[in-house]
This record gives sequence, C-alpha cells and structure tokens, in this order.
Amino acid sequence: MTHLIPAVEALILVYFVALNSFYGLLLLMSIPEVWEQTRLAEDEDLQKLMLSDALPPLTIMVPAYNEGETIQASVTAMLTLEYRQYEVVVVNDGSKDDTMQRLRDAFDLYEVPRIYPETIITKPIRAVYRSRSRTRLTVIDKENGGKADGLNAAINASRYPLVIAVDADTLIEPDALLRLTRPFLLGGNVAAVGGTIRVANDCTVQHGRVLDPRVPRSFLPGVQVVEYLRAFLFGRLGWNRLGGNLIISGAFGLFRREYLLTIGGYLTNSVVEDMDVVVRLHRHLRERKIPYVMPFIPDPVAWTEVPSSLAVLSRQRERWHRGLIASLWTYRDMLFNPRYGQVGLVAVPFYVFGEMLAPVVEVIGYVIAVIAVATGRVDPVFAILFFLFAWGYGLCLSIWGVVLEETSFRKYRRSGDLGRLLVYALLENFGYRQCTVWWRLKAFWAAWRRRKTWGEMTRTGFGGPPRQSRLYAQSPSGMWQKVE
Amino acid sequence: MGGEVTARHLVLIAAVVQGLFVAALLLLIVINRWVRLRRRDAVRPRREAAEEQFRRWAAGDADVDAVASALVRLPSAIAVERLAAWSSLVPTDRWPALAQALSRASWGEKLRRGAKSRRWWKRLQSARFLAAAGVAEDVPTLARLIKDPHPAVHLAAVSALNYVSSAELAEAAIDELPMLPIHVGMYFAMALKRGRQVAVPLFDQRLSRMDDPALARIAEYAARLQEPSLRPRFTALAKHPNKEVRAQAARALGALPHTESQAALLTLLADEAWVVRAQAARGLGLLAPPAALPGLRKALRDPEWWVRLRAALALTRFGGAGRDALVQEERGPNAGARNTTELVLGLSPQALAEYAT
Repeated sequence: MTHLIPAVEALILVYFVALNSFYGLLLLMSIPEVWEQTRLAEDEDLQKLMLSDALPPLTIMVPAYNEGETIQASVTAMLTLEYRQYEVVVVNDGSKDDTMQRLRDAFDLYEVPRIYPETIITKPIRAVYRSRSRTRLTVIDKENGGKADGLNAAINASRYPLVIAVDADTLIEPDALLRLTRPFLLGGNVAAVGGTIRVANDCTVQHGRVLDPRVPRSFLPGVQVVEYLRAFLFGRLGWNRLGGNLIISGAFGLFRREYLLTIGGYLTNSVVEDMDVVVRLHRHLRERKIPYVMPFIPDPVAWTEVPSSLAVLSRQRERWHRGLIASLWTYRDMLFNPRYGQVGLVAVPFYVFGEMLAPVVEVIGYVIAVIAVATGRVDPVFAILFFLFAWGYGLCLSIWGVVLEETSFRKYRRSGDLGRLLVYALLENFGYRQCTVWWRLKAFWAAWRRRKTWGEMTRTGFGGPPRQSRLYAQSPSGMWQKVE
Repeated sequence: MGGEVTARHLVLIAAVVQGLFVAALLLLIVINRWVRLRRRDAVRPRREAAEEQFRRWAAGDADVDAVASALVRLPSAIAVERLAAWSSLVPTDRWPALAQALSRASWGEKLRRGAKSRRWWKRLQSARFLAAAGVAEDVPTLARLIKDPHPAVHLAAVSALNYVSSAELAEAAIDELPMLPIHVGMYFAMALKRGRQVAVPLFDQRLSRMDDPALARIAEYAARLQEPSLRPRFTALAKHPNKEVRAQAARALGALPHTESQAALLTLLADEAWVVRAQAARGLGLLAPPAALPGLRKALRDPEWWVRLRAALALTRFGGAGRDALVQEERGPNAGARNTTELVLGLSPQALAEYAT
C-alpha cells in the first residue's frame, strides 16, 4: 500500500499533464482554424453562391416520433431555408400521437408509389407521401423502429447526393445549409461536414427561427452554453488540424449519401448512432484508402433546447457517456492501430483516455488527494494550490471558448449575456463539474449491465407548454440520444 | 535567489501565470468589443457615402472618380465586398470605366500586389478585387490566381470571367476543370457559361482531342453551356470508345434539338453500357421525337432497372402515343417492363414532373 499510493499519484499526475497538454494543443490548433473559417465565412459572397448551379442538392432528413405539437412549425421552417435545391424527408416513426394526421392536414399530402430501391433494410413502410402545397416535401409513414431506423428510411428515399440529419425540434438558421456546404464548394474529398449546435433556452423563437439569441439566466442551461461553446468552438476546430473529428453532430451534420449507403446507414442497435456512423465511416474510408476529410465548420448554426433540471440532465449525461463507452468498446481494434492513421493513433486514444476514462481518473485523484493530505504525505497548502491550478486551467479553456465566440461569430451581442457567460465559466468547476463526473461514472455501471433504457426528457418547447415525449436530444460531444 | 525551488513554488508560479492569462483573455474580450464598436461607428458614414455614390453613378448622376474616391476611404475588405456586390447591379458596359478608375488608385495597386502574397487571405482579397475590377492588364495575374492552390482564391478569381472577356482566362479555367471536385467544376462551368463568347471556341478545340484522358470531364462541363455550335462535337463523341464520354455525349445531346442529335441518341439507346442507354433514354425524352417511340418501348424491357425507369419517364413526354406504349407494356409479358410502367403510370402529374427531371 505504501508503494501503491505514490505510484497512483505519479500516474494521475502524468495523466493530468498529458491530458491538459493535449487540451492546450487543441486550443492552439483552434486559433488558425477559427481565423480561417471566420475569413471564409465573411469573404465569400453567399448570395452569389446561392444563385449558382454549383451548390450540391441535398436532402434534409427529419425523423419524428410523437412530435404532433411542433411538427408543422418545424417542417415549415425547414421548407423555407435559403438553399437552391433541397428536399425535406420527414419520417413518421410510428408515432402514437397525431403527428401523421397533422402532416397530412398541414401539407396536403398525397400518396405516391415507392420507386426507389430500399438499399438499407428498415422496419416496414406503410406509405410514402408527397405534398401538393410544398413540392420539396416527402413524408414516409413507417412502423416504429427508432431514430436510426427512421434515418435509414430517409436515406433510402433521398434523391440527392448529400444528406443532413436533423431533429424535428432543431431550429436551423436560414443560411446554415448554405454555409454547411462551403467545404464542398471549396473542394477536397469531403465525406461529411459538422456544424455548430447552440443552446436555444431563453432565446426568442418565432416561426421556428431564433430571432434573439440569449444566454439563459438559470444556471443549468447557462452553464451548458459554456460547455457547448467550448466543445464546438475550440474542441472540434482543434480536431480539424489533428486528424479530423470522431464525432459529427447527429443534430446537424452533412454526409455524402453514397458513403452512408456503403456502410449500411445508421446502426439501429447503437445508443449513439451519430458517433457510431462517423467512426464506421472513418474506418471504411481508411481501410479502403479512400482520401477524405470530415471538417467541422463553426458558422452554420442549429439551435436546440437543453435540459434545465438536474434530474433530466443527469440522465442525459449518463446516457451520453454510456453511448461513448459502448461505441469505443465496439471499435476498440482501432485504438493505436496505425492502419487508421491519425484517427487510430490520436483521435480514438484521446476519446478513450481523455473522455471515457476521465471521470474514473478524476475520482481516483480526489480520493488519493484526500488520503495523501490526511496521512500527511502531501502538504495541505500544496494540495489547495494544485486544486486551484487545475480549476484555473479549466477556467482558461472555458474562457477561451468565450474568446473564440467573441472574436468570431458573436451571436450574443448584449453585455449582460457576455457577463453571464463569464460567470458561468467561473462557476462551472465548483459543483457542476463534479456532478457531471458522478453522472458519467454511473454510466460505467449501466454499460456493465448493458442497460438499454433511454430515460425521460421534459422539454418546454419554444413558446409552447412543457411536454414529455420521446425525443432525440443532442450532446455537445455530438451524440444523439433517444429520450423517452 | 539561492533558495530551494519546491513543488509548491512551481504550482504557485503556474497559478500566477494562469491568472495573468485569464486576465489577458478578459482584457481581450473587452478590447475586442470596444474596437469593434468604434470601428463600426467610424466606418458607417463612409460606407453610406460610398453607397450613395454608387447609387448616383448607377443612375448616371455621378462621376466614376467620385465612386472610386468614396471606395478608397473604406477599409479594403469592405470596399472589395461592396465592389463585388455592386458589380452585379451596374450594367456591364459601364463597369470597365470604374475598373479603369480604380486601376489608377494606389489602393488598387496595393490590392493587386496581394496577388503575389504568400498569405492566402491576401491573395483571396486580391482575387475578389480583380474579379470585380480587373482590367486587361490583370489577365495574367487572374489566370495565375485561377490556378491558385487555395480553393477560395481560385473560386474568387474565376468570377472574373463574368466581366473580363479573355481567352487566356477561359483557357486557364478549362485547364483546371478535370482536376476540380465536381461542385467546384460546376462553379467554374457556370462562370465559363457567362463568358461563353471566349469559352465556346476553346471547348470546341478541347472536345476534338479524342485521346484526351480528361475528355469525359471536359464534355460534362461543356454540356452545361448548352451551346448549339458544340453539337457536331457531341455527335462525334457519341462514337467514342470510352463509355463515360458516350454517356456525357448523350446527356449533352438531349439539350440540343437536331435531327443528328436524335439519330445519335437512338444509336446510343442500343449501347452496350447501361449508363449510356439510360442517358440516351433521358435525352430522347427531352427531345421527344416520334421516331424514338419504338426504341424507347424496347428499352422498357431493358435488363437494367435504371434504363427501364428512364425510358418509361421519357415516354410520359410523348403525349397519348407514349401513354399507349406504357399501357401496352404494363399488360405485356415482360415482368421488368410491367413493374416499371406500373410505377410510372401510378405517378401523379406533380410527382412525375419532379421525377422526370
């Protein structure tokens, strides 16, 4: 025991230094990326591109389950995005409410025969509809099979080479599609592109559009704004220069359809189908030595509502981490495998050691620190200083996310919003962080028991009464969660 | 200072450095906001003045030098952006006068020099400026920028074809076409379409090189011009040994009504490659010559699903005769033809209009 504690202490110290050095590297890598992306976003003449034939046509895939309350507004908003050629494929995934009837009434649907090959096997499709009033709209009515199954049905039915999966209650900014396709216009072998997800709580929303972005006044959704900024604006941008992202938001990611068809679409038995599909895509393309890039670009924005109660948030975080564990376990052969290039040598190891195991190491660190101080092995002043140092490092990373936001896209223009962001960044490491560690630890137990339940999610919606439904929520790390 | 440096000292130093870093970040946020606000307030009146001058010039009430001097007062990024925006609003014949006026300004010179910069964003700004206000002397620079390794730069430079009629520029763009990803190539083709006066003879020349390995790609983009004078070239390409080239020829001929196009497409409808047959069926549907009816009806029994669908959709454009052919095949002995015609006959006019494109 006398030898074990110093060894564990040393290991934890090495882990701490290595992980934080890597975060430092991501931070550095994000600087040229955000600068380049801001330049490109500002310089290109979007109106000119919008009128051009060069824009690749795309399909927006919207799986919906019990979304009767909001489906009309959501689909209408999606049908009025600024893009030259696109279609919207809504999949009613065996809803038990009036989702299908509302779609029928709102968009004057008529049944059409299926003339596309069903390349990916899905649950039986009851009927396919087109809209008389909105020619861009296709609605698939199918038996319930989950989000992944709904997306697979939409991939089969899509007519265009690019597909984008969005949640029925995700609010897409009008020019977001235009921006999301920029990497395709700028060349390169783009396999997929990820956009930014932002927190819609407390924002003014009208007709499915965020009119006035605000930082929530309540602590829980507010602190998640800081998390999202950090995850998207520096985490993912940094990854662009370190071998590509392992995760592209299921809520807002663009994929080349042919690649999705080749890998068999989304896995229906995966807890985190969006992470799963990206890892499989990397794997497929690397194994076949097909050159590709999967960039993240920060300026296309979609807004989503995040949990505002501890109970819901805890279930959500536990699920996200459970999904991460399951995915990394499934693809464990990619770990340190040079066959998968930077993905196998950098990205997967980071996700295993820096993300998946982080809560375990952190808890062991707390326990060892307490033991060491109690037994007099470590000077209490040193322990406090070290804790402050660790907290300060976390604070630096969070404030860096705010700096990137401020110097680039500046969605939050009010001083009050900026002040709140800084306060949340300051307070995040006191209590909130420790809670997330505990929730993520619980995920190991759940993963061990191979738990497959989805939990419960209450959303207030945008302007409507609170509702409980099975939804597909989005994590800052980009993983889709089906919530019941 | 002689004392021992302990771990506590190291952590303390790190904490102080962190504190300074956080303070610097906070300062950066505040300064950034302040600078942005000040810059916005300073630029707004100058920008409005430039807009006013542009409006007056477009209406014929202002001198071109007044516009140029108003632009010079703006930060170069904003000036280039306004220039690009107005270039699509002012009549093309009046634009060269402004380009000439700007070529004399030192501001224009500075932007021109950016074309040789090692920094891509400087080359981008230069390309955007020259694409909107380039003069004849800028053609070699623009041709070089079209071949720039940074995609944003060559995309900006190729827009020059909208205003600068130059064979050298068009040739540079056409040379790049086979190497470009499809969507970028389409953007280039769109610019070449606007500069068709100089692009068509060059395409004509390139399409005559039967042994060019990039012929299929060149034909694909040339087809986008829908240029009748290129029709003989496409008719000749219908006999090319490469199936990709034949498919592109079939695609092009569908948009070029002529008896020779019809004859070539009918030949291609019996091609050994199904991609060529499918494109030929589509092309015949667009032209809808009565002579194609038997061939398209036969194509309904093609072993390839895609050819059958294209043929059935094509027949819907032949009016009553096409519909009769579809109905007869729906009751015929061939299962493939039966299934396809059943599907297509079941489509509503709206769905048909969408699927048939």
